[in-house]
Amino acid sequence: MAEPGGVSAGLIAALALATFAIRLGGYLLGARLPVDGPWARGFAALPGCLIASLLSVLLLQGGPAEWGAAAVAAGVAMASRSLPLTMVAGIAAICALRLVL
Amino acid sequence: MEPLLSEVSRPGATASGAEFRAGLREVMPLALGVAIYGLAFGLLAAQARMDGLATGIMGAVVFAGSSQIVAVERVVTGAGAAAALAAGIALNLRLLLITASLREELSGRPWWQILLGVHLATDENWALMHATRARGRAVGYWYLVGGGVGIFAAWVAATATGAMLAGAIPEPRAFGLDFAFVAAFVAILRNLWRGSGDALPWGAAVGATAALVLVTPIEPSWALACGGVAGAVIAGLRRGRDDG
Repeated sequence: MAEPGGVSAGLIAALALATFAIRLGGYLLGARLPVDGPWARGFAALPGCLIASLLSVLLLQGGPAEWGAAAVAAGVAMASRSLPLTMVAGIAAICALRLVL
Repeated sequence: MEPLLSEVSRPGATASGAEFRAGLREVMPLALGVAIYGLAFGLLAAQARMDGLATGIMGAVVFAGSSQIVAVERVVTGAGAAAALAAGIALNLRLLLITASLREELSGRPWWQILLGVHLATDENWALMHATRARGRAVGYWYLVGGGVGIFAAWVAATATGAMLAGAIPEPRAFGLDFAFVAAFVAILRNLWRGSGDALPWGAAVGATAALVLVTPIEPSWALACGGVAGAVIAGLRRGRDDG
């Protein structure tokens, strides 16, 4: 046990076990679902929907500088479809916008 | 990443070793982002009186960045271990949806590969695999694992380093690096777009997430999972569309 205010080995072990159980549980759940029909269509759409939701949360936590930089990143992503290029453009845009806004 | 497209036509490019290496190579920009994020987590861990070894071990065994950050931040702000654990677990429920969607990649594999695959599944390498596939390359399990190894190495090394060097590292925000993942997910979302059939589910996911974040006191990580599921349910219930 760590002193108060520290992270104990027990907390690390519990979080590790719970996280692994969630990851394995997801696999066991997914493996038991039908391979076509509504379930399959829903799972096929899940990656895009989750990333769209994640971006919504991240942008709602930001302000005008983040929104402007995200728009710049979206433009570069549309034009290039390149991950590294979009990251560089987004970081450059956020630096510039935080200076002026 | 343009030169890598030529691998599609190269014989043997589908072999597991080549796929592993492609995943490892192409995850590098994301691994760099993870490393920056990891340094920032290391600073936080140092505030919770964790040394480099404990931080590195936590990164390796939990291997879920946002939940580690939330759990340690709870401890630093004086919450109890149970509250810290609950917050970390809530943030990880999204991983349930991620590994549930890996059934094709994992089906028929030996148990050690399933256990390895689910532990190495993160937002970054999972989304990268789907985005690469949406661009027309047949990548699967070993691409995911290659990317996962890259993210794992970056996360463990950076978080341990951050905890050891706490105080000597500048704030990532000062260089706009806190925005690296927002930009990365914008690029990944662009590559996941399959056509106008995605508009309705994605719109529903964004709308539900925004409504939950703005109108209810729900934790953003719960709003995210609910919004993603709402979009997937709409995609599943819609009939007569040949885009799923």
